[in-house]
Amino acid sequence: MGAAESAGPASDVGRDDDVASLIPMVRRVVAARVADATAVEDLVQETLVRVLAAAGRVEPGMLEPYAIATARNVVATSWRDQDRQRRNQHRVVDLRLPDAPDEGLLAAEERTAVAEALARLPDRDREALLAHEVSGRDTRSLAAETGSTAGAVAAQLNRARARLRVEYLLARDHAEPPTDRCRPVLLALSGGDRRRQREVEAGQHLLECDLCARLSRPLLDRGQQRDDAVRVPISGDADIVAARQAARELAGRLGFAPTDLTLIATAVSEMARNIVRFAGTGEVVVELLDRPRRGVQVVARDAGPGIADVGLAMQDGYSTYHGLGMGLPGARRLMDEFAVVSEPGRGTTVTMTRWCGDR
Amino acid sequence: MTTTGPRLVSILRQGPYLIASIHTALDDTQMTDFQHDLVERIGRDRSRGVVIDVAALDVLDSFGTRTLRTIAEVARLRGAVTVVVGIRPDVAFAMVALGMDTGPLRTALDLEEGLDVLDRLVAPGRSTSRSRSTPGSRTA
Repeated sequence: MGAAESAGPASDVGRDDDVASLIPMVRRVVAARVADATAVEDLVQETLVRVLAAAGRVEPGMLEPYAIATARNVVATSWRDQDRQRRNQHRVVDLRLPDAPDEGLLAAEERTAVAEALARLPDRDREALLAHEVSGRDTRSLAAETGSTAGAVAAQLNRARARLRVEYLLARDHAEPPTDRCRPVLLALSGGDRRRQREVEAGQHLLECDLCARLSRPLLDRGQQRDDAVRVPISGDADIVAARQAARELAGRLGFAPTDLTLIATAVSEMARNIVRFAGTGEVVVELLDRPRRGVQVVARDAGPGIADVGLAMQDGYSTYHGLGMGLPGARRLMDEFAVVSEPGRGTTVTMTRWCGDR
Repeated sequence: MTTTGPRLVSILRQGPYLIASIHTALDDTQMTDFQHDLVERIGRDRSRGVVIDVAALDVLDSFGTRTLRTIAEVARLRGAVTVVVGIRPDVAFAMVALGMDTGPLRTALDLEEGLDVLDRLVAPGRSTSRSRSTPGSRTA
């Protein structure tokens, strides 16, 4: 500092030396504000460059305060830059992972699967789908071409998409459905058509067919946004509680009385326990009904050993395990409608309904 | 209880009695664990009576009812009287509709009544062992 003071009233000749003598002071000013040593050095250099550039304009003796002010400004500017950088950092972050070696291969497989699935579609469906999705033709102009209506074309497109999803899943898996029931079931699931799903007994099939159970997962996930039905997979004790609570919650939306909700939950509990005891795994599907009346329907389904004599199992006190024989006959008394379909070796489906309002 | 997280069941000792409260819906395994824990506590604490509060159970289905009956029967063999309290009206209704045979299961409306029942059934001469002036107090 002493050097700087003594150099204060110096002549123009020693300007560069004056600036050089400022270095320790500038470094102190910057270091007091910035922790990182490398950054300090950078900022000191930048300050000195500016002071040097301005040295000719600064009055003699004012170089030191000028350097201090410049150092502060340079530090402030660097902070501002850092701040801006931090705020905008997320914009430059590339969240995509670097290309894995197998990525190209997978993409190629994906393309092949889609192409194969498209090829398996009926010609009419494929043409309509490509015209709509790829060429961007709207349904009305397509309808005018074939002498149909826009609604019919839209329905056809929907069916084509559903079929494409199924064929894509099969092609990607290089799988050929083991039974002739698989395709209709997957198609019904893909289209989200509940009536059709019931007709082809989709739920039962998924419990029996490993391939369809696996392939149908993305199809079922698509339909998960439905809020008037809930499916609870059953594989252990805890699922019994989950199933009865899901049923209570869903039925609660219909305006059932608390007593009714407990009756429903109890019935679901009994049926879910039957699944755990006899079949090990299965599912409980709870669904709200609008027709013929408002109500709640519970389907408890398994692919277990089945019941040899349903009539006998429905009798009070009949029990194959060390229980009280309350399972089926008890649950029947809790619900308005109750049906058991069972086939030895193939599984059991219990469908029970309770209507909302007066009994 | 051996489970982590909030306790599903608490078993508190009050004089010669045990007060077992179920805090949430239990699955079958938890129900069976509860049965074992309670029966074991009866022996350890030399309890003469047990009150089981089931007000927090969402349903009492065949398994739940059977477990309660088993507890009561085992406790009786171990020399303790069991009273189940807090069965909610809707749960009671469902139990009747289900056709549950509750047999010799002793019940009372709530904890207060349950303790009264125990006082009457267990050593009538010892009814002063529990202070009636502070029914809320519990000794763990």
